[in-house]
Amino acid sequence: MSAQRCIEDVRAGDELAPLMKNATRVQLFLFSAATNNPHRIHYDRDYAATEGHPDVLVHGPLQGAWLHQYVADWAGPLGRVLNLSWQNRGRAFPERELTFRGRVTAVTGNEVSLDVWEEDDGGAVLMPATARVRLPRRSERAPGD
Amino acid sequence: MALNTLIPDEAMAMVGQLLAEPVTGTITAKEAQRFALAAGDLNPLYFDEQAARAAGYRSTLVPPIFLAWALAPARPVGETRQDGLYRSGGRRVSLNVKRVMFGGEDWEFRTPVFGGDTITSETRLRSLEQKEGSAGPFVLQMTETTYRNQNGQTVATAIGRSIAR
Repeated sequence: MSAQRCIEDVRAGDELAPLMKNATRVQLFLFSAATNNPHRIHYDRDYAATEGHPDVLVHGPLQGAWLHQYVADWAGPLGRVLNLSWQNRGRAFPERELTFRGRVTAVTGNEVSLDVWEEDDGGAVLMPATARVRLPRRSERAPGD
Repeated sequence: MALNTLIPDEAMAMVGQLLAEPVTGTITAKEAQRFALAAGDLNPLYFDEQAARAAGYRSTLVPPIFLAWALAPARPVGETRQDGLYRSGGRRVSLNVKRVMFGGEDWEFRTPVFGGDTITSETRLRSLEQKEGSAGPFVLQMTETTYRNQNGQTVATAIGRSIAR
């Protein structure tokens, strides 16, 4: 694991290192199973076509879980994600590169505000989001809670 | 004044009310780990007791987005619809619209959720608002789900936004 990010390390305007995801059909199946979600648009391509989709779709909640992962990994084990808001704007398909990106918009006390988003392989923003994260100070060795 | 042509009075009267009976369930570390692995999230705080303790937690954490999925009771296959989804067990908000699209979620994570926690969720209709868009009128519908642990602490809230037109 990388060194813990501390509030002193962060400035408004900083960019987060991107995170790439590329879901296989097997992963979509496993995510449906782990969430007990029988929705056919995630595994039945013929059915998905009847709803106007050219392929099965990546679950909205899987993309939400990826966003949370992206922000929580950036915050590190002593950081805390306080909130996360996203908009579902476009469809995501399996076997296509999806990229998560982000930027620090403000640092207030021990809290950081972030803009984060998911793009498809054509650069279209599929999921714009904001997050607020609490980071430790360098002098802190253990978090609250 | 905007007219609520898409929102019948009976639907508006549901604002603030529970959309289903509260649901309670115990989330095991194993289920939480299955969710994290399916999402490709290998955060040691979800898997490694020592890593969780080193970060100041009493045991491994549950990925908080899993709350939305962890509590639903098991249902028979026969209770699914043509699109595969389980038939809704809750109260329906009937609007004068053709289709409802999922718009997004606003999560607030108040306190950590641990493997083994027993969580109760309550979902209310938070608001119905008719708006004028470029493609005509639509309804912004918001639901709010509150998750409480076995100690009565609110661990998270989630607002779901849908667009109905």
